[in-house]
Amino acid sequence: MGKLMYSCEQAARLSSRAMEEPLGPVDRTMLRLHLMMCANCTNFSRQIEFLRRASRKVPEAIDRGKT
Amino acid sequence: MAGKETDLARELESHRDYLVRFALFMLRDLALAEDAVQETFISALASHEEFQGRSQLRTWLTAILKNKVFDLVRSRSKGPPMVSSDDLQEDDGRDGAFGERGQWIDPPSNWGLPEEAFESSQFWETYLKCCKVMPERQALVFSMREVLGLSAEEICKKLELTTSNLHVILFRARQSLRTCMTKNWFGGEHG
Repeated sequence: MGKLMYSCEQAARLSSRAMEEPLGPVDRTMLRLHLMMCANCTNFSRQIEFLRRASRKVPEAIDRGKT
Repeated sequence: MAGKETDLARELESHRDYLVRFALFMLRDLALAEDAVQETFISALASHEEFQGRSQLRTWLTAILKNKVFDLVRSRSKGPPMVSSDDLQEDDGRDGAFGERGQWIDPPSNWGLPEEAFESSQFWETYLKCCKVMPERQALVFSMREVLGLSAEEICKKLELTTSNLHVILFRARQSLRTCMTKNWFGGEHG
């Protein structure tokens, strides 16, 4: 794949950054394009979203004594 | 009046155990965690008029505790150990998870949508263990963002980080946590 595509590392870093702030139009488009073609990075992106949902439940988990 | 305060003090005690465990998760130091809770109780007693059942007592106490935790973290982060931490360094552009052309060395697997894991105490045990694998500061930044849900801006201000530092730290934290969870939860019989 040539320079036209972002690498998996670039895509993963952008997926992570997108959880903090909206990406610019170029990055957003390039990331979407990469994710459409790359199952690995799609898995990565879903994993970190899952971990966010889990993390938000930590206080509950601690409350129930599930530590 | 005195009776009312004694009642409140007694009620506070019933939340101590939870608050200490929560503070311990954030601070990783029992003595510090207990200090934070003690200060929380002092603030709570001093400002109990403000409470008046507006929300759950535990929610109110947790909000106070979060601020105490930040104060402790901030005063500690002024000292050398946290500032000189590796994960504060600017990104060197290399990450052990990727090859020379930026390809995954160990590609992320499909975890499915395992929300039922949230009901499992083993899941939480694994999650908390995996958080402890992260370096202290990385874990703290991660929990401020993901557990407490603070904005990137707030975290940068509180910990005196640049935005790009924050992105690097959170990326590494997520990599560390998902790798550890893959190995210890999703890779095994639960996946």
